Amino acid sequence: MVESVSLAGITETPIVIVMGQRPGPATGMPTWTEQGDLLFILHSGHGEFPKILLAPGDMEEVYKLTLEAFNLADKYQTPVFIIVDKYIQEGHQSVDKSKISEFKYPVDRGKLLSQEDLLKISAYKRYLDSPDGISPRAIPGMENSLHQANSYEHLEDGHTTEDAGERSKQVEKRNRKAATYLKQDFQMPRIYGDDNAPLTLISWGSMKAPVLQAMKESASHKFNLLHFNRLWPLDREKLKLLLSGLKKTLLVENNSQGQLGQLLTMATGVEFDEKLLKFTGRPIYPEEIIAKVNSIT
Amino acid sequence: MDNLKQALPKAQKNPPPAPVVSSSSGSLPSASKLHAAFSGYFPTWCPGCGNFGIWTAIKSAFSKMKLNPDKMAVVFGIGCSGNMNDFLWANSFHALHGRAIPNAVGIKIANHSLPVIVIVGDGDCYGEGGNHFLHAARGNHDITVIVHDNRVYGLTTGQVAPTAYKGFKSRSTPNGIIEVPVNPIALAVSQGATFVGQGFSGDMAHLTQLLESAVKHRGFSVVNVFQPCVTFNHVNSYSWYRERVYKLAPENHNPEDINRAWEKSLEVEEKIPLGIIYQVERPVYTDSLPQLAEKPLVFSEPVTDLEMLINEFV
Repeated sequence: MVESVSLAGITETPIVIVMGQRPGPATGMPTWTEQGDLLFILHSGHGEFPKILLAPGDMEEVYKLTLEAFNLADKYQTPVFIIVDKYIQEGHQSVDKSKISEFKYPVDRGKLLSQEDLLKISAYKRYLDSPDGISPRAIPGMENSLHQANSYEHLEDGHTTEDAGERSKQVEKRNRKAATYLKQDFQMPRIYGDDNAPLTLISWGSMKAPVLQAMKESASHKFNLLHFNRLWPLDREKLKLLLSGLKKTLLVENNSQGQLGQLLTMATGVEFDEKLLKFTGRPIYPEEIIAKVNSIT
Repeated sequence: MDNLKQALPKAQKNPPPAPVVSSSSGSLPSASKLHAAFSGYFPTWCPGCGNFGIWTAIKSAFSKMKLNPDKMAVVFGIGCSGNMNDFLWANSFHALHGRAIPNAVGIKIANHSLPVIVIVGDGDCYGEGGNHFLHAARGNHDITVIVHDNRVYGLTTGQVAPTAYKGFKSRSTPNGIIEVPVNPIALAVSQGATFVGQGFSGDMAHLTQLLESAVKHRGFSVVNVFQPCVTFNHVNSYSWYRERVYKLAPENHNPEDINRAWEKSLEVEEKIPLGIIYQVERPVYTDSLPQLAEKPLVFSEPVTDLEMLINEFV
């Protein structure tokens, strides 16, 4: 599976991949839930190339982030992952219909060339170097679209190359897409609850609802939630500022190794005070969150 | 031996014209005239490589059929044959080892108005890509698979490949390979391929005609082309093949008869048939997709009527 992620990375083929996590490793517990594959997905596919990771926290986010995922894939011409798990996939949730039907999100195909655009280009180059790292994309079958999408390292026109300069050019071009994302599409994680709460719970993806439910049930202002539904690329400086300004932190993850925690520490250097990790194949329950919060405050 | 340096072509600013390569059994029109549209860089294959014959036959067939490099898709696998990506100029996708066929199937479904040609090696197609091969035959996907069968993994300097005869001594099997060879003809016929042919790079005129028939055939076409690897396979050479190959003709073979096809599929060593071994008609995969009846998928409008989807699914 992951070889095709790597392939899409170098051929710069837009692709949206839904990853439905289940407890592993290997066959694991196929009909249960876990958040155990974040770092695997982040590192999937050998070689260095940009990826975008999204992890919707509830049904509404699944809908909206999927729309966004396709636009991002087309814009950056790179793999975009939507990370869910059994809890989201098999769960039931009602959403007001108006939230879906009134949500307008125009389709944006990025630098996809039309037939008219193509006729104006004399020698089309699929992997043309550019300041934002993104090259104009042609669809085979149109007139003047002649190009090669190549899994080997390539020149701007797609021919295979081993030349050091041309190789560097393409690596830097691909990497530059992540920098462009940080400038144009990065969004900070969202805080739910009282900004001044003495304790911040940090979670990602499907572990949004249990924390919000715990907040509702405990009816206290003891803690708020910092929820990540966009996991990569990350703006290290902005996140470092945010995370180091929190009074006390509790990482809440449905896995045994605290993978979001590891990712944030890798990106910002910040460590987390406490951890609530559950990996029995069941989602974290609001009462477990309340019990943990009470035990550390 | 400088094969590793020759393995991948160097970047060249202006691709030189294709060489004139003459066939031993009949002459072809001037190569530079016919092939200009499809020519890329000059190949890095070893002098005498069977790939030259196949390359020439492919360009001849494409030119004779007046195919447009813009309006077709060629999918390459990985290997010496896959390196044709730089020597044949057309809309191309250079896929991963063993994965040319699934990419070709996807490309065809995305735009079924494009002729889709797959250029692979025996290791690539029957080894790593074996399962894709058999499932594509089952679906009768309208693509043409041209297999460079040299019975070794040439690009990686001579390991044994799926079509090697039992006992073949190679870099990876110094005492001789244990397995018997894969039988591509039998596999293709048994899994539903509707055009199964066999060719020889040493007879380019015959191969050109065969490739033309294969591309024109509506359905899953596979042509297994014997291609001597002059560097790593000193057993199955040009003379070895000339002693064994014979041509199928209407007088000696009926390609629509599957029983004759089974018989021919077992002729793998003492005598080897060249030509169209099996050809029948069957609806192609995209015929059964009503969504594509009006126009290719890639030119279709996205579905934006949410009400319709909500009413049906929610």
